[in-house]
Amino acid sequence: MNLKEKVLEALKSVYDPELNINVVDLGLIYNVEVTEEKNVDVTMTLTTPGCPLHDSITTGVRYAVQGIEETKNVEVNLVWEPAWSPDKMTPEGLRLLGR
Amino acid sequence: MLPQSSMGNETNIKLPFSFIIFSLIALVLSQILVLINGQMLVNGSFRIPAIWSAAHLLVLGWALMVAMGAMYQLVPVAFLTKIWNEKFGFIQFFVTALGIASFSWMLYVSPQNAFLPGILMLLGILMFLFQMFMTLRKQAKPNILTAFVGSALVCLFLTIFLGITLIYSLQTGFAAEYYQAIFKSHLLMGVTGWFTLLIFGFSYKMAPMFSLSHGFPMVHARYVYGLYMSGLVITLISFFSDNSYLLKAGFFLLLVGFSVFSWHVSIIIKKRLKKKLDHSFSFALAAIGLGNLVHLAAFIALWTEQFSILIGPLVYLYLLLWIVLSIMGYLFKIVPFLWWTYKYSKEMGKRAVPSLKDVMNEQVVVPFFTIFVIAVLAVFLSIIFKSIILFNVGQFVLSIVFIAIALTILNVLKK
Repeated sequence: MNLKEKVLEALKSVYDPELNINVVDLGLIYNVEVTEEKNVDVTMTLTTPGCPLHDSITTGVRYAVQGIEETKNVEVNLVWEPAWSPDKMTPEGLRLLGR
Repeated sequence: MLPQSSMGNETNIKLPFSFIIFSLIALVLSQILVLINGQMLVNGSFRIPAIWSAAHLLVLGWALMVAMGAMYQLVPVAFLTKIWNEKFGFIQFFVTALGIASFSWMLYVSPQNAFLPGILMLLGILMFLFQMFMTLRKQAKPNILTAFVGSALVCLFLTIFLGITLIYSLQTGFAAEYYQAIFKSHLLMGVTGWFTLLIFGFSYKMAPMFSLSHGFPMVHARYVYGLYMSGLVITLISFFSDNSYLLKAGFFLLLVGFSVFSWHVSIIIKKRLKKKLDHSFSFALAAIGLGNLVHLAAFIALWTEQFSILIGPLVYLYLLLWIVLSIMGYLFKIVPFLWWTYKYSKEMGKRAVPSLKDVMNEQVVVPFFTIFVIAVLAVFLSIIFKSIILFNVGQFVLSIVFIAIALTILNVLKK
């Protein structure tokens, strides 16, 4: 398992506490970039701008990635464009919503 | 992509919680007061010191304080802007809490001396309005939610101003010929102005958030705002001009505005991704339907000769089944969120943390809220049919369920 895969696996432990679905299945993670120096750059969004769980979720993402031994610096970029939409969810995420 | 590393808009949890805990105590006290003065209420004596005190404890001590606490939490969420000054918020809490407590007490023991505590309460509310004005003016892009919440704040100011005028008039005889018009305007601005506009505004943020709705139109909100505001203004004018046609037109616009809001929320809910809604949120949605029914009933009653008898009980229904039920429904969502953020947000990503559902006992929602609705209807019918037994049973059950709800909410703090 390479570092990028490990990061995605670790991010599955970060849940949106309102929906109780992890950020990966919810489709909030847009991109994970790993440099040769093992620095990790996560680009993510939230389901709605002004989500009250904004800081909790982004901090959770940072802590989860920092918890992987090999990582050096972790950068979390929160973006609003492209906006989150349901088609970004995984089939498992949709199933958990009862779809 | 537009990056935004951190917004840091969160409010210190102690601020909204101070308001919410005070409000829960006021709620329980208001119910005890109503219970011990049941005989007077059933006889149609709404304007007695104990009922003034209970009504203000319920409307100001509970609903207004909850609304203020919730706004300290929700304004940064809905308008993407930080609260202007948190320290000022804590001072505002102490001034308002002291003002409401002394005002309600004075209304009970010596209403003619309620002017000074009323001024203290007014000061607290003015401080809140100033805080919100300073916060909202920082909003980068005002939207329709700003119009709803901003207008609600203007209505709150008018409610307090008219209320103080009423007390001043009672003491000095000032504007005595307009006393009835001022009293009706005070009720209209407080109940349908401040609370309804505020719930409309925040529902537009919370309904899509709690149902995970996407791709719904927002154009209806403009019609809701236009119709409801026109209804408020025309009804207000009708009170001072004593024009029954204007009153009918005003009530009609309020009914249509509320109906468009109900329709719009139903469109939003149909576009939801979350199939199974939380029970407390479902009751907040049911409150919209109930509020709509009361608007319809008030409009129909206006065409009958029984209007003057029916309007008091209808205002009671509107307060309890629309405003109180909405606030309680949302409170069951807001309080767990506040507590979860305080206790677990820094732990996320480090260890497994509970979800919001684990923090609040959702199982009690259906029985408690159902009993609440039935008890309110029983009290309403007891006033209509002048049945002291039905009133006592209904109000006793209502007081118990209010206390149970307050304790359930406070129990979150143990999780």
